[in-house]
Amino acid sequence: MTLLDFARGPALQWSLIILLFGVMWRIVGALLIMAKKDLSKPRRKTVLRDGLKTIATRSLPEHQFEKKIRFQHLSGYAWHIALFISVLFFAPHIMFFESVLGFGWPHLPNPIILVTAAIALAILLALLIRRVSHPVQRLISNADDYISVAVVIIPIVTGILAFAHLGARYETLLALHFLSVEALFVWFPFGKLMHTALTFPSRFDAGASFGRKGVKA
Amino acid sequence: MNVDSTAFRDFRQSLERLGTDVPADELSDDERVRRAKRTFMDKIDRHMAVDLETCIHCGMCAEACHYYEATQDEKYSPVYKFDPLRRFYRRELSPMRWLFRPFTKDLTAQDLEEWQELVYEACTGCGRCDMMCPMGVNISTLINVMREGLASAGMVPAELRALQTEQRDHKTLFGVGVEQLRELVGRLRQQGTEIPLDKERAEVLLLTTAAEVLLFPDALAASAEILNRTGVDWTLLSKSFEAANVGLVSGDEDSQRTASAGIVEQAKACSASTVILPESGHAYQALRWEGANEVGEALPFEVLAISEFIARELDSGRLKLKTAANGHSVTYHDPCRLGRHGGVIEQPRQVLKALGLDFHEADSNGRENFCCGGGCGEYVIRRSAPLRQKAFEIKKREFDETGADAVITSCANCRINLMIGAENAGWNKPVESLVETVAARLAD
Repeated sequence: MTLLDFARGPALQWSLIILLFGVMWRIVGALLIMAKKDLSKPRRKTVLRDGLKTIATRSLPEHQFEKKIRFQHLSGYAWHIALFISVLFFAPHIMFFESVLGFGWPHLPNPIILVTAAIALAILLALLIRRVSHPVQRLISNADDYISVAVVIIPIVTGILAFAHLGARYETLLALHFLSVEALFVWFPFGKLMHTALTFPSRFDAGASFGRKGVKA
Repeated sequence: MNVDSTAFRDFRQSLERLGTDVPADELSDDERVRRAKRTFMDKIDRHMAVDLETCIHCGMCAEACHYYEATQDEKYSPVYKFDPLRRFYRRELSPMRWLFRPFTKDLTAQDLEEWQELVYEACTGCGRCDMMCPMGVNISTLINVMREGLASAGMVPAELRALQTEQRDHKTLFGVGVEQLRELVGRLRQQGTEIPLDKERAEVLLLTTAAEVLLFPDALAASAEILNRTGVDWTLLSKSFEAANVGLVSGDEDSQRTASAGIVEQAKACSASTVILPESGHAYQALRWEGANEVGEALPFEVLAISEFIARELDSGRLKLKTAANGHSVTYHDPCRLGRHGGVIEQPRQVLKALGLDFHEADSNGRENFCCGGGCGEYVIRRSAPLRQKAFEIKKREFDETGADAVITSCANCRINLMIGAENAGWNKPVESLVETVAARLAD
């Protein structure tokens, strides 16, 4: 078995198993903790709309806050958009998804993908520099913050190297790209990358708890 | 509308002595840690678990905090203020605790000492950070659990402990009890304000606070005038007049429950269908939003802040106001626990509009308003005075920017804290009460 066979075969399978079971375990484990019923009389009969609204609105901070967090806000948007474009619209990625899902979708030209991947990488590095240099972020950061950045940066770097055929044989670079993505899958349920899933119940709770008091959250 | 300057000076002097004779809780370090952990375990629920799992350490919450804004000191970032709780959760409750435990530092007595300052002296629980968090984490709730943990570990600051003990054991606050209330009611009656006291049955029960009795008797008189004008059947009860709830702000839930239960019992005894709270943000949170949970059943009466009541009565036409002719310009300070935490944001603005005042919003207002800097009992803690004064500068700047002649608010604690800040800063803009402003303009 070559390194690429290993990366595409058992390593991929096991990392996906850890990803799926880990995500389920963490979400279900947190949601199973009991919560007392709030006996106070709410201002509104249902707060479903408040919860759902906050899921959307927390991506668009109000002016009063926006003016202070513009860099984080805009870099957050740019990073997530660049990542999604690079992952979802690169032709070889779509071929891979098609082999798993049975269907594909149109891809973007490679130069565009290269630019978006470079943007994603640059933003992550900028955020990492900010994390070690900004007094607040430095104080509150722990190993998870750095590991999570590392497991996201490495697949982007190996992806760019494989795309450009730089530094080693293509098969080796491709295998390293697979393995780095699998490292991300394995780390995902244990670190803060879980915010991808948990931000929905968390924002919903914020919207619902303030909503029952008649306050837009 | 004027505050008796002698009473205010005496009150400030009494704050200098508050808690100096209260003995410290002599618990061993191990016992403190054990108690704090037990409280954390009891208090963390599903919502908090999701919040603790979701925080991404972005640090944006710091930008919402008035203490961080005023000092740029990173230790005042809200996310740091609940760090011991986060660590406890990761070691003891997280679904991944089997992995996190060896890598997560256990809670120590030194942590409790360090966080006592951050939680009691550098957080008013204002919840502005709750509005900022991109993940929707209810940060102030987590910091409040920190307060409760510290309270159970016997680490409530002496000033708050003195008030908590006084309210629990003597049913007084700042020395104000039944006798002082009766004396004030007598005085207000002599001045022509009709105040029904200790009626056996009444539709509406009005509460007041020691702060009103001591410093703002005009606010109590104003509430009485307004209630009389609406024609409702109401009473004050000498057995249960105090709306303030020190347990809520100190983090001592037993004291909080006792105070709330006392009000509920008396309101039931006089068959009140409505309880009206005076100008006090935390009292509103204690009874309106936490009262039912503390006594373990839905409240059999409606709870209204006095500003909510006034807005409702204006709406119904039972209360009419004289519109100001000279365009007195004012701004409004939203008390955190009445506004952001309570949902009473539009009602005071409706009232100000009905008064026809020249109203100017401050840069931060409503759900995004900056705290007065002394909420959650912090204004009584001497050690935090320099920090509070720095936070006051934010309010001062914002109020000045509005160009308004006066600041109106609807919370006695906010008013006291703003008045202290103003006096220290030599700033002479008056800080007035909404209810007093309304009572001065009642139409026939």
